[in-house]
Amino acid sequence: MTRMFRMAAAAMLLAGAASSALAAGDRIRELKLITRPQAAQPSEFQFAQIIAQEWRKLGLDVKVEVMPWEQMADVVWYNRDKWDMTAWQMVGRPERSDPDELLYNLYHSSTSAKGYNFVGYSNPDYDRVAEAQRREVDQEKRRALVFRAQEILAADQPVMMLVHPRSTFAFDKTVWDPASVVNQGGIGIKNFWTFVSIRPLGGQRDIVLNSSDNVQGINPLWISGGTDSWITELVWDRLLRIGPDGLPRPWAAENWEWTSPTSITVTLRPGQVWHDGKPLTAEDVRFSFEAAMGGEAPMYAPFVRNIAAIDVDGDRITFTLKEPSAAFLTSTLAKINLIPKHVWEPVLADLATREENAESHQEKMPIGSGPFRFVSWTTNEEVVLEANRGHWSAPAADRWILRIVPNAEAALGMLRSGQINFLADFPGDPKVLVDAAAADGDLEVVSTTDIGFRYVAFNNRRAPFGDPAFRRALSSAVSRELIVKAAFKGFAEPSNSIVSPALPFWHDPAVDNMPTGLDLARQILSEAGYELVGGKLHYPDGVRETLAE
Amino acid sequence: MSGMRQIAGRLAQLVFVLWAVATILFLMFRLMPGNPLAAYIDPTFTEEQQRILMARFGLDRPLWEQYLIYLANLLRGDLGDSFFYRQPVFDRIMELLPNTLVLTFSSLIIAYGFGIVVGAWLAWARGGLAERIVIPVVLTTRAMPEFWLGMVLLAIFSFWLGWFPAGGTRPPGAEYDSLLALYASRDFLSHLALPVLTLAIYSQGLPLLLMRSNMLEVMREDFVTMARIKGLPRWRVVVLHAARNALLPVATSFAIAVGYQIQGNVVVETVFSWPGLGRELVNAVSASDYPLAQGAFLMIAAVVVVMNLIADLLYGILDPRVSHA
Amino acid sequence: MPEAMDASPGAAAGGLAGRLWRGLRLPLGDPLAVFGLMIYVLFILTAVFADQLATHDPTEILYTPDYDLAADRRPGEDGYILGTTSLGRDIWSQLVYGSRSALLIGLTAAVMVALIGTLVGLVAGYFGGWVDAVLMRLADIAFGIPFLPFVIVLSAFLEPSIWNVVLAMALVLWRDTGRVIRSQVLSLRTRAYVEAARVCGSSDLKIVFRHIAPNILPLSFLYGSIAIGWAILTEASISFLGFGDPDTISWGTMLQDAYASQALSTRAFHWFVPPGLCIILVVVAGFLVSRGYEEILFPKLKE
Repeated sequence: MTRMFRMAAAAMLLAGAASSALAAGDRIRELKLITRPQAAQPSEFQFAQIIAQEWRKLGLDVKVEVMPWEQMADVVWYNRDKWDMTAWQMVGRPERSDPDELLYNLYHSSTSAKGYNFVGYSNPDYDRVAEAQRREVDQEKRRALVFRAQEILAADQPVMMLVHPRSTFAFDKTVWDPASVVNQGGIGIKNFWTFVSIRPLGGQRDIVLNSSDNVQGINPLWISGGTDSWITELVWDRLLRIGPDGLPRPWAAENWEWTSPTSITVTLRPGQVWHDGKPLTAEDVRFSFEAAMGGEAPMYAPFVRNIAAIDVDGDRITFTLKEPSAAFLTSTLAKINLIPKHVWEPVLADLATREENAESHQEKMPIGSGPFRFVSWTTNEEVVLEANRGHWSAPAADRWILRIVPNAEAALGMLRSGQINFLADFPGDPKVLVDAAAADGDLEVVSTTDIGFRYVAFNNRRAPFGDPAFRRALSSAVSRELIVKAAFKGFAEPSNSIVSPALPFWHDPAVDNMPTGLDLARQILSEAGYELVGGKLHYPDGVRETLAE
Repeated sequence: MSGMRQIAGRLAQLVFVLWAVATILFLMFRLMPGNPLAAYIDPTFTEEQQRILMARFGLDRPLWEQYLIYLANLLRGDLGDSFFYRQPVFDRIMELLPNTLVLTFSSLIIAYGFGIVVGAWLAWARGGLAERIVIPVVLTTRAMPEFWLGMVLLAIFSFWLGWFPAGGTRPPGAEYDSLLALYASRDFLSHLALPVLTLAIYSQGLPLLLMRSNMLEVMREDFVTMARIKGLPRWRVVVLHAARNALLPVATSFAIAVGYQIQGNVVVETVFSWPGLGRELVNAVSASDYPLAQGAFLMIAAVVVVMNLIADLLYGILDPRVSHA
Repeated sequence: MPEAMDASPGAAAGGLAGRLWRGLRLPLGDPLAVFGLMIYVLFILTAVFADQLATHDPTEILYTPDYDLAADRRPGEDGYILGTTSLGRDIWSQLVYGSRSALLIGLTAAVMVALIGTLVGLVAGYFGGWVDAVLMRLADIAFGIPFLPFVIVLSAFLEPSIWNVVLAMALVLWRDTGRVIRSQVLSLRTRAYVEAARVCGSSDLKIVFRHIAPNILPLSFLYGSIAIGWAILTEASISFLGFGDPDTISWGTMLQDAYASQALSTRAFHWFVPPGLCIILVVVAGFLVSRGYEEILFPKLKE
C-alpha cells in the first residue's frame, strides 16, 4: 500500500515538474479545517486529523485548527465568508424523522444568508425540488422528490458526508425486562416509548439513568439543553408523538383528518387531566399553540409560523395553514407541548409587561399532563419524576430518576455497580462499554444507527470550494471505512446522504457506497484542470485565487 | 482601642480587595472579544429577538453604565441572571455553597487532626527511620495531581470494591426534610467519604510539616528546657508544653488552608460529580455563562478573602510577638 | 506583616539575615535535595534528547499495514514500548515529549514567579513609603484571587495554550514570594553594611542589587523550586478539566486523554500511571530541592 502510494507520488511529482513550465493557475493557499478539541469531541478531532493527513497527499497544505464549540459556532455562523472547512455535527431529534427540516433548512439557498445553510450551497434545481417536497402531501410522490434531492446533493457534494454514528446505550437486564425496551429507529433505546413501557423484573422499580450535562430548565416553552428535552417529553403531552417507526401517531389527539391541503382537524382524547387534577380541554390546546405563536416563547415560534388560525368546536380543534405543509404533523403537532391555561395565562400576561420572556420562568412545581409527573429537582445532582397512575398510558416503572454524572468513566462504573440501571448518555468509547458489558454479564448494550450525522462542511462561497469538482475530489479522497474504523471504532455507518438509513422510507440507497480513493481524487482533479507543480496543487490554467474578504 | 481600629482597617482592606477582584472580573468578562451571548443566540433568531436577548441581560448599554449597574447590584447581593439557566445567579450559588463548604471543612478537619498528631510524633521521633520514610511520603502525597488521586481511589473503592458510591451527595431519589437532615444522614457520609479522603490526603502535608517544624522550634525554647531539667517525663514535656505552644500557628494556618482548598476543590468536585461551587464554575466557563462564572468566582474569592482576614486577626491575637506596625 | 501567614513552613522563622549569605549555592549537603536535583537532571536530559529517545511522532496517528488503527496496543506489542492510546498514538513518545512541556512550563513559571516576586519584594521593602503601600495593596488583591479558578477563566478567554498557566502564575503567584522577600529586605535594610554603603554614597540601585539582592536569592530559589511543581500540577488540572492546549503533548493532556478514553475501565495502567508518576517525580523533586534551600536558610531545623 505504502509503496504503491510512493510510486504514485513520485510519478505525480515528475508530471508536476514537467508541466510547471506551462502556465498553471495560482497555487492553492493553505486550507484550514476547524474541529473541536479532542477532550470534548475525540471522534471529531480524530477524523479531522485523518482527513487532513490524506488531503496532504493530494498536494494540499491543510492546517487543522482546534476551537471550542462557542468559538467555532461564532466563526461558522456569524462570519460566513471567513472560514474554509469545518467539522460539523447534526444531532438526531425525533422531529428530524421527517426529512423536510434537514433537506430544506440545510441546503435551500434562501437560508444561506442567515439560516442553517451556513455552507452557502446554492443550486436552483435543488431549491425547486426542496420546495416541491414540502408541499407534496402524497407520500409516494413526495418520496420520489426526496430521493431526487439526495441525488443532487450526492453529485454536488456541498459537504463531505462522513458517517451516521451509532448511538449506544445500555441497561441492567436483571432489573428491566429486555422485551419491554423499545428501540426507536434513528434515536436508540433512550426514548419516550422505552420510559413509558419498560417493565421491572424485581423489586427495583425506579429507572435510574444518567446524563453528563446539567439540567438547564424544566420549561415547556423553552427549548433548552438536550437533557432537558427528555424531561419535558415525559411531563408534558403533545397532540401527536413520533412513534418508534419514525412516523407520527395519535397521542393526546385520538385522530387527525386533513379536510383540505391547508386545513387539519384533530379530536382530543377524552378524560385527560392535568397533574393538578383539573381537566385538559380543547381551550388548553388552543392556548398552548397560541402561547408558541405569541412573543414569549421565541424558540417555538418557527414551528407554528405556518398556522393562520385555530378554531375550537367541542373537543375538535381545526388548524388552518397559510400554505400546504407535509411536515406539519411531525414538526408542529408532535412538537408543541400542551400547557394548562389556568397556570400559564397569568404568567404570560405578567411576562408581557417585562423584558424577560417565558424562558426565564421556572415553575416551582411544573404541571403537565404527561405519563410522568414532576417531584423534585436538586441542582446539578438529580431530577425525580414519578409515574402518573391516572394517565391513560401509565408507565410500568415507579419513578424516573435522572442523575447528573459529568464523566463517562464514572457513569460506566455506576452502571456496573448498580448505582444507575439505565445508561442514557455515554460520551465515552462504545467499544469499552461493549467489552465491559461482556465481562459483567448483567448489562445489555444496544446501539442504533442515528438520524444525526457527522460531516466536514466546505465553505461553498469561498474558492476553491465553489467548484463542485474540487469538492467531489476532496470528498472522494478519504475512505469512509477508514473513518468508521479509526474515528468511531466501528460504531457508525458510512454516509453519503443527510437522510439517514435509519429512515428506510426516505433514505435513497442509490447514493450509498460512494467510491473513494486517492487515485480517484487525483483523477477528478486532473480532469477538472487542477495541476501539481512541484508537489503542490494549483488551480486550473489561468485561475487566480480571489477571496471575497 | 487600637485593636478595634486595627479590625476596622482590616475590614476596609477586605472591602477594597473584594472591589478590586470584582472589577478585574468585570473587565475580563466584558473586554473579551465577541458577543458574550454568542453561545446563546440560536441561529434561527431574528435580529429583533437577538436585540431583546441583549437587552434582557443589559448588554446593550455602554460599558461604564454596565459597570455601575454591576457594582450597584453587587452591593445588593444581586449577581445577575445566568445566561444558561435564565435564573438568578445568587440563588444557584447559595444552593451549591453549602455542599462545597461541607466538603472543604470536613476534609480539612481530618487533614489537620491527622497532620497535627503525626507532625508532633515526627518531632518527637526526629532523626529516626520514621522521619526518613514519612517525610518523603508526605511530600509525595502533596505532589500527586488531586484528580489523579481521586480517580485511583474511585476505581479502587467504588468500582472495584464497591464500598462507596461513585458520585453525588445522596442515593437516587432519596428525600430529606432539610439540608441538615441530609448532612446528618448515613447516606450522605458514605457519599462524602471518597472526596473527603482525596482532599484530606492531599492537604494533610501542610499541617504535618508545619506542626513538626514548630515543635522542633518550641522544644528548644527555655520553658521546655526548664521542664526537662525539672525531670518531667519526655512525653509530658512534648505533649503538654511543646505541642500546646506549637499548635497556635498551625491553627491559624487552618483559615488560610480553607481559602486554598476551596479553590482547589474544582477538580475533585468534577471527579466525584459533587454538586458544588467549583464544578459549577467549570460548567459555567465551558458554557460561556459569564454571569454565573463571575458569580461563582466572586463567591470563592469572598471565602478566600474572609479566611485570609480571619487568619490575620487570629495570628495577631494568638501570637502577641507579632506587631502590626 | 505577618510572614507566617504563608503556607511555606520556612517562612515562619524570622530574623535570620545573618545566615543568609551562606545561601546562593545548590543545596548539595542534603541527600534528599541531591536526589531531587538528580531527578531534574534526568528529566532535563530526557527533554533535550527527546527527538532521539522518542520512537514516533507523539501526535501521529498510527496504522497497521492494512490500514487499521494501531490503537490500544499493550506495552511491547508491535514494538510500541509503552503501547498505544485508544486513538493510536505512541505512549512512550508522548511521555518523552511531555517532559519538554513540563520543564518548559515549570521552569518559565518558576523564573517568572521568583523574578517578579523578588523584584516586588526588593522595591517595596527597600523604598518603603507609597511604593511599598501600592505594591502591597496589589499583593493583597493577588491574595484575594482564587488561583485555579483564575487560570480556568483565563484559559477560556485566551487561545488554549500551555502559556496560560505561566501567565496566570506570573500575574498571581508572585504574591507569596513578594511578601516574604519584602520582610527580609526590611530587616536587611537597617543592617550596618547597608547603612555603610549608603553613607559612602552608593546609589539605591547599587545597594539593592549589590548588597541586598544576593542575600535573598536563596529565598527566591526556594519559592522558585516550589513554583515548578505548582505550574506542572496546575497545567495537569487545567488539561483534566478540558481547558488545556490540545496541540501540545503534556503529561496533563495525556492523563486527560486516558481519562476520556476510559483507561481506568480498560485497566490500561501502562497509559494511565506513567504520566502521573512523572508529574509526582518532578514535583517531589521541586519540594526536595526547596527543602534543601530551607535548610540552608534556616539551619536550626536541621541541627
